[in-house]
Amino acid sequence: MIAAPRAAFERWLERRLPAADSWALTQRSVYILPTRAGLAFAATLLAMLLASVNYQLNLGYVLTFLLAGAGVVSMHQTHGTLRGLVLHLKPPRPGHAGEAATVEIVLTNPGRRTRHGIALRWRQRVGSGGFAWCDVAAGAQSTVQLAFVPPQRGWHALPTVVAETVFPLGLFRAWTVWRPASRVLAWPRPETPTPPLPAAAAKPGEPRAAATEQAGDEFDGVRHYRRGDSLRHIVWKKVAQTGELISRDARGEGRRELWLDWADTGGDVERRLARLAAWVLACERADRPWGLRLPGHELAPGRGDERRRAALDLLATWPG
Amino acid sequence: MKPAARMTREARDTLFLLAVIGWTLLPHAGHVPVWCSGLAAAILGWRAWLAVGNRPLPGRWVLVALLLAAGGLTFWSERTLLGKEAGVTLIVVLMTLKTLELRARRDALVVFFLGFFVVLTNFLYSQSLLVAASMLLSVWGLLAALVLAHMPVGRPPLAAAGTLAARAALLGAPVMVVLFLLFPRFGPLWGVPEDAAGRTGLSGTMRLGGVASVANDETIALRVRFDGAPPPPEAMYFRGPVLGRFDGVDWTRLPDVPAGARVQVLGTPRHYEMTLEPSRLAMLPLLELTPATAGPQLDGWSLRLRQDLQWQLDRPLSDRIRLQASAWTDYRHGPRRTTPELDDWRRLPPGYNPRTLAWAQALQARPELAGADARTLAAALLRHVADGGYGYTLEPGAYGRDAIDEFWLDRKLGFCEHFAAAFVVAMRAMGVPARIVTGYQGTDPAPVDGWWIVRQSNAHAWAEYWQPGVGWQRADPTAAVAPERVQRGRSLPPTPGLVAGTIGAVNPALAARLREAWETINNRWNQAVLNYSRQRQFDLLRALGVESPDWEDLARALIVLAALASATGAGWALWDRHRQDPWQRLQARVQRALAARGVEVGPQHAPRARAERVRAALGAAGEPLAVELEALDRLRYGEGLERPARRWWPGFAKALRQVGRP
Repeated sequence: MIAAPRAAFERWLERRLPAADSWALTQRSVYILPTRAGLAFAATLLAMLLASVNYQLNLGYVLTFLLAGAGVVSMHQTHGTLRGLVLHLKPPRPGHAGEAATVEIVLTNPGRRTRHGIALRWRQRVGSGGFAWCDVAAGAQSTVQLAFVPPQRGWHALPTVVAETVFPLGLFRAWTVWRPASRVLAWPRPETPTPPLPAAAAKPGEPRAAATEQAGDEFDGVRHYRRGDSLRHIVWKKVAQTGELISRDARGEGRRELWLDWADTGGDVERRLARLAAWVLACERADRPWGLRLPGHELAPGRGDERRRAALDLLATWPG
Repeated sequence: MKPAARMTREARDTLFLLAVIGWTLLPHAGHVPVWCSGLAAAILGWRAWLAVGNRPLPGRWVLVALLLAAGGLTFWSERTLLGKEAGVTLIVVLMTLKTLELRARRDALVVFFLGFFVVLTNFLYSQSLLVAASMLLSVWGLLAALVLAHMPVGRPPLAAAGTLAARAALLGAPVMVVLFLLFPRFGPLWGVPEDAAGRTGLSGTMRLGGVASVANDETIALRVRFDGAPPPPEAMYFRGPVLGRFDGVDWTRLPDVPAGARVQVLGTPRHYEMTLEPSRLAMLPLLELTPATAGPQLDGWSLRLRQDLQWQLDRPLSDRIRLQASAWTDYRHGPRRTTPELDDWRRLPPGYNPRTLAWAQALQARPELAGADARTLAAALLRHVADGGYGYTLEPGAYGRDAIDEFWLDRKLGFCEHFAAAFVVAMRAMGVPARIVTGYQGTDPAPVDGWWIVRQSNAHAWAEYWQPGVGWQRADPTAAVAPERVQRGRSLPPTPGLVAGTIGAVNPALAARLREAWETINNRWNQAVLNYSRQRQFDLLRALGVESPDWEDLARALIVLAALASATGAGWALWDRHRQDPWQRLQARVQRALAARGVEVGPQHAPRARAERVRAALGAAGEPLAVELEALDRLRYGEGLERPARRWWPGFAKALRQVGRP
């Protein structure tokens, strides 16, 4: 019963926030309220005032009013800790769904005083994400990292960020709510364990059969060491992994192409994408050229970081 | 490595907080029971040991057990859990126990707020300059620890937290001053318990031995300043309660006879000004004799001169007050002829002090005193005191049931109240109306800023007897045995403290000068801060042009000031809203200037990007502008320009003029 209006309120609140990658904290965007400790402090002051009145302690008045003055000043200081600060979101790097993507926020302090004890967190508690604390020195920048775990592949708007502080006395809490504009792209969660790669196909124009008969249970392009293989052909990386001597198949290399094909996968779209993603990663790990074929899309064979990202981006945004 | 560097931040912060707490609790060591001081010291030490070794804190049951034990001990030593003494004992224990529970931030905050309250409880015992200074240090320390608790990142130095705390306190000082000056001063909200004053002094009753504690109390009772020459020391009698009823143990006051005080003043008056410390007694110890016609006028108080010449207030003096009055050292008062009321002053409790009564009657029966009047009898008694081998001491020891007998005939050692009481009993035994007058006699040897200081140690008891045809006459039997007590004001300086004693032994003149300087500072402090009362508030308002101010005017002044402060704050906020980072301001200015020349750039464009757009839009004509913009880019991103260089804009403006408006 309570949850529905509250959720509606949250939605309304988020809608009225402008989305921006830079968020300058001004009078308008910094809110402040006393904390529970602040209320307790007020109660303490009241008790002290009553004691001063009743025992006619002029020094008691002095003390009470001194603390009251410090409390009022601390309100301004708490507000001032945030006011003027500029938050900036670094373009978020994509990550796999279900894995924590690190979102970096740069805090710029244009003022002439160090700002202490600023905490950043997601507005809605997502996962175990807690506070990230930082101080920002005068005229300097600090970077704070927040972990964001995208639940599934695709583009995700970042959750709203709350920057808050209770510095210096903890009597007031000043905070701002910021909706970053940048979205984060989540690649499909790769299938685990990594499924075996599909068989390599002969280059166009070569008989396909020749390739398949060689395949057997070996990885394409590599095979068990045979006596007479040149040492240069041994894949030392694999040797380290498996403990067995593996040779590069001289015939496979350069002649055959590995196509990661939508058609070779099964199940629903997500399963297919997960498998393709796992294959892309496996190929990159094995340092093998690969091509990706999706219905209506083709990435020509090749390898490298950029291609991997292009492929994963394509998989992430694949409709369905 | 230094130990400080090895210590974790948490351990360091905890030790700092423990030190501040220890410092705050220190003044209480003299007030709370010994077990409490010991327990507090042990717990703080234990907690420090735990912090240094990064050892786990004790479990909840240990705390509960300690708390129960402390509660039991408090009840055992104070016989109650309520009231000031028990409350202070408990708060000291609670404060230290809470340090064993410093787990979460919430616990730390409880310690801080308890700490501020403990600071306040110190003022219940003393509001001296020394206590104020040491507690100011405590408040600073507590605030610094509070700030430190809210600096979660890294290992901020203590000095940084201290600076920030001092900043908050100093910036808040105007609020403090305004509230202190204008917050309406009310009387006590509920009955101040008996022990509230925490000081000794005169009271409405006397029992032999009671003044002894006063005699060692160096706190100030009142200050007096004279227009013109002060009276001689032996005339400095400040009249307090007059005790006429004796039940064998206690001397108490007789009810007032509403006949009006019959006073006849002689000679010239002395006008004086007096500030009185709160005595918690409903009376004013004014200079003898301040008649009703020249008595003080006090706003908000109802004053009455009793028939026994004691100035009566309508309620206990709980505030420091200042008053002006005139006194005549030469006066006569009381009935000239025997009246029935005088019988009250002759009454003695039956069955007490029989030997003294017999002694007095034997004295009266001597041939040379046959038919003598009261004055002759009094003179004979005083002569007996002077010659009878009596000794003046502040520590005469305890006396038994027939205290006067024991003092007068056996031990012969006592101080003013013994002499006064014995004198009155002997006079009454001879049928002469007599009574004890309590008050203060004498002052410090030299005035401070023109003010003569009268201390609690000046408390004195003397006697009055009634002489037909004259009225009441003062007789000070203490003067007969220890004349210096009355002439110099103080015959027996109190046992000096260790430091004062050392200085005094080496260089008495220096000690006296130091003491005088200290008294001067202390007096300023008292006048400025501690004496600030409702009366002074009203004086302030009067000085500001308010006629006949009352507390509503104070409240109004506070509200006006608060409104002014709020308006200022709101104005500043409004101005601050439009305030921009200087760099952004410059960017906007450049943007407007370029737009006027047909080059559209966005606020997001860096100077370099703007230069490109200028070139694209204006071609060769825009080259000077583009060069200037590129220079700005280098200034900003190359050299870490914090503020837009004033030196940059003129060059750019020149380039703008070259381009001209389209």
